[in-house]
Amino acid sequence: MTVLTITVTSLRELSRRRIALLFVLVLPLVFYLVRIDVQWQAIRFLALGVGWAIATLALFSHVGARRLDQRLAVVGASPTALFFGRQLALVATGMPVAGAYLLLVAITQDVPRLAAVGLLLVTTVLIAAPLGAVVSLVVPRELEGALALLSVMALQLLVDPDDTAAKLLPLWSTRELSAYAIEAVSSDYLQRSLLHFGLVLAVCVLIGWLTSIIRLAPAKLPAPQVEADTTSTR
Amino acid sequence: MTSAQEWGAQVRDRLIDSGVEPGEARRLADEFLAEAEDAEQDPAGLYGPAVPYATAVARTIRTTATRIAPLDRVRGQVVLRLSQVTKRYRRRSVLRGVDLTLRAGEVAAVVGANGSGKSTLLNICAGVIRATSGTVERTPRVGYAPQQHGVSPLLTATEHFDLFGAVQGMDRRRSQSIGNQLSRHLGWAPRPDVIAGHLSGGTQQKLNVVLSELSRPDLILLDEPYQGFDQDSYVDFWEQVFTWSEAGAGVLVVTHLLHDVERVDHVLELPKAEES
Amino acid sequence: MRQQWLHGFLDLSLLSLLAERRDYGVGLTERLSAVGLGEVPGGTLYPSLLRLETQGLVRAVREPSASGPPRKYYELTAPGRAAQVERSQAWGHFRAAVDAVIVSAHGAVMEGTS
Repeated sequence: MTVLTITVTSLRELSRRRIALLFVLVLPLVFYLVRIDVQWQAIRFLALGVGWAIATLALFSHVGARRLDQRLAVVGASPTALFFGRQLALVATGMPVAGAYLLLVAITQDVPRLAAVGLLLVTTVLIAAPLGAVVSLVVPRELEGALALLSVMALQLLVDPDDTAAKLLPLWSTRELSAYAIEAVSSDYLQRSLLHFGLVLAVCVLIGWLTSIIRLAPAKLPAPQVEADTTSTR
Repeated sequence: MTSAQEWGAQVRDRLIDSGVEPGEARRLADEFLAEAEDAEQDPAGLYGPAVPYATAVARTIRTTATRIAPLDRVRGQVVLRLSQVTKRYRRRSVLRGVDLTLRAGEVAAVVGANGSGKSTLLNICAGVIRATSGTVERTPRVGYAPQQHGVSPLLTATEHFDLFGAVQGMDRRRSQSIGNQLSRHLGWAPRPDVIAGHLSGGTQQKLNVVLSELSRPDLILLDEPYQGFDQDSYVDFWEQVFTWSEAGAGVLVVTHLLHDVERVDHVLELPKAEES
Repeated sequence: MRQQWLHGFLDLSLLSLLAERRDYGVGLTERLSAVGLGEVPGGTLYPSLLRLETQGLVRAVREPSASGPPRKYYELTAPGRAAQVERSQAWGHFRAAVDAVIVSAHGAVMEGTS
């Protein structure tokens, strides 16, 4: 039940950062419009925009909560609940964004496999949340973390997806899924992208979760041994 | 509104902000206005400016109010024991062979110059930092107030009570009621619509202190949590520390000011860290 | 300095004045002034009276006065009377001790031995 408490708390905190939420909502639109002329690029960039925005939100959310999480861990909150609670809140924030943009794509474009676009946006949100958390846990300062995330996203945009090295980047699956959504390609694309997505998700969640435990779990201190004769001092 | 009524409204509001129950605050404000009317004087002339007067009145009520009910606790049970605790960072020995036995119902003050490792010792007791050597034994039920950043600027006080209460297994009504009661003892009435980031520094610290006691733990660790307190709040804070110890908790306070040194059971003085 | 001294003994002074006879706020202010303790402002007097009331040592009664508007009269309760006796004894001891120290210093100054 602590997980739910942390989720509700994180959602409350997120809801009070109006400007950040606006940014999360609007950035993907900018990405989308910039590439609107080439259909599969537009959709891929849209997904990357959503991913970057949610990952940045996750980064700052986790960094900002570090001291409070530490205090909560001291009085008994489990680092697992603290990590997953916050992640759940971030995913819950990202889903309406994904939904809104799915609608936008449905209205503004003629896409053969619209469901694939939905899948694309959902998987992006699901990766972005733990990705932001991992960056925040490995690079615990906001500026450095944001720069690290920026570098990952820049690489994502610039590296040729056919390059084998591109498969090391977390959002490689977006390219495959966008192709699948638009062109009449084989379901190989779908399988490959889901495999990549699953792998990246598992790795990010695992690293994030384990790092949380390492950073937050308080030292196990034994209870004081009862003395032979307990004479009251008062 | 006449100036007298305005004075009365200011007094009432200030009383409520200082933790007086709203019904009582209204009653008192009305009484003062009636008195002034009887004496055929302007209330500001009879009592002085509204806010300082109301603050003095609130303190009076607070310091003679009933104390928290004492818990059933085994007096004298050890809640914290440090044996030869040492902490080194590379070449620097921050703590050298610290010993302390703290029992339920006792107050320990950790004093020392800046850089003497007071916060490090507290964090070792909290489990946030691990000691290099030595043993730390501690009761599992602990409250902890770090010096800074112990509070979320985006949440209201009420939401903090919810969060900390839930994490420690308290139901919502209890955590709200205890949280508000503890706040009143420090002269503050939490408002449900104000986030912690918008509170004054002193009031944020009051929230910080209240959160450390919320679940009525056996051991309370406080790291100089009175930054930004005015003189009255500082005195109230120490009154609370002794009230908690009388109710059966062990309290460890890191401080570089010592108030009421005779009432403190242990004074642990830490020498400055040295390079080795 | 005087202000600080008075702050410590205002409660005792009020208890003693009320032991003599019950009175209302302005009346107490006048008596304090008449005896040489200066003008005690309402912002100091009324919180003290409120404190004594909350401690159960003083009781406030609102009654119509013979000439003029109704007034809030303060009077001692039984515990208040006991407290007044106890505190004035404590004050007596304290005063004697301080006097002794001052007299001895004064004496030393006169003899030129300090």
